[in-house]
Amino acid sequence: MEKTIITMSSITYAMKAKEYLNSMGYRCDVERTRKNIGSGCGYSIIIRVHPDLVTPLLDRAGIPYKGIYRL
Amino acid sequence: MEKKNTVNFDNSAGTHPKPESVRQAVAYAMRELGGNPGRGGHQLSMAAAERIYAVRKSAAEFFGAEIENAAFTPNCTYALNMAIKGLMQFGGHIIISGWEHNSASRPVYALTRNNGVKCSVCEIYPDDVQRTIEGIRRLIRRDTLCVCCMAASNVTGRIMPYREIGELCRQRGIAFVCDCAQAAGVLPVSIKDGISFICTSGQKGLYGPTGTGLLISSGEFALSTIIEGGTGATSGELTQTPHMPEKLESGTLNTAGLIGLGAGIDFVKKHGIGNIRRHEQSLCKMFEDGLKKLGAEVYDIGCDRVPIVAFNLKGRTSEETASALNKGGFALRGGMHCAALAHESLGTGRRGAVRFSPSAFNSAGQVSKLLRYIGNSLTDFTPDQ
Repeated sequence: MEKTIITMSSITYAMKAKEYLNSMGYRCDVERTRKNIGSGCGYSIIIRVHPDLVTPLLDRAGIPYKGIYRL
Repeated sequence: MEKKNTVNFDNSAGTHPKPESVRQAVAYAMRELGGNPGRGGHQLSMAAAERIYAVRKSAAEFFGAEIENAAFTPNCTYALNMAIKGLMQFGGHIIISGWEHNSASRPVYALTRNNGVKCSVCEIYPDDVQRTIEGIRRLIRRDTLCVCCMAASNVTGRIMPYREIGELCRQRGIAFVCDCAQAAGVLPVSIKDGISFICTSGQKGLYGPTGTGLLISSGEFALSTIIEGGTGATSGELTQTPHMPEKLESGTLNTAGLIGLGAGIDFVKKHGIGNIRRHEQSLCKMFEDGLKKLGAEVYDIGCDRVPIVAFNLKGRTSEETASALNKGGFALRGGMHCAALAHESLGTGRRGAVRFSPSAFNSAGQVSKLLRYIGNSLTDFTPDQ
């Protein structure tokens, strides 16, 4: 299954996004942003659904993210 | 041996003893959470980061804030410096109360000396909230950026009209920085009270370890940073990350201390702010009544106060009294309590005062012993039998 990686501006927002999406029924994890997609250090959430399903939820919750990558 | 038997009535400086849950949490963190939170992707780092996040969430909820607006600091002084200087370092006008701790008044004084900041000091009238608010309203100028007032005095415990000040600031679009070091854990202070920045220590009414503090923001005012450095995010850039809370948390966090702070906040939540305050107030009432019978001078009687009693004994300086009480096995603090402005406002600028501040762990029996000791050893008065 395809993976979506959403890069976050901080580990706090990554944890907050994980908690929120988990509460909405989307299982996801926090991991260190992979070197090939991020600039410098940072954290991402990794989730096995299409980004169109979850980014509107993050927008509505006011949780900012930096980028969306599909693997 | 003497230290072991000392009863702590100086809990306004730091609660001791700590709840068992706090001691266990710190030990657990030292044993299991050695990774640097937010500084790596390995299991040790992520485990620590998850626990830190849980403490952040608990602290944010406790003060009615969003999680990202709860920043950890080494103590309340750092939090106040970060808030005051973060708002005022490019100039402007600030209003502070005449009761502020040096942790607020000194950074403001430094800003007036070095950054062209203008400062006005407002009066706090104990029995007249309206007069206090009107006084602050009159001091507000076009360039006023901030009002800084503590929620409760660290000298006498006097509760300041922080909700009304918050409302005034909200109406005028001015930031309200509130030193909640003596209020957190005994008053239900919240960002929802109109406070823009709650600054507090962790080791007092929140029962956390020393070396912990909080800067809780409403999110309405952005702070310039006064400390920059590693935050674990956007490391490839020279500019400080703009995102809260990491923006204000440069450098490695005090993991063990913060895990202990989380347990302390849980302790307060479990027992309830109202119950803790009622218990401590009953001890203060008992002590205050006893002091009056012994002819002591007690300050701010009749004011609504957090659980603190400030007093002096006749013919003794506050330091002499505190020293004599220490010999008797009682830890109370004499002197100026790092609050020269407050002692000036109180009229105790020369002598200072002795401060009695109980915690959830003190008992009526301990207060009785203290009063007996004062009556037998430190006064010429014959206490009522």
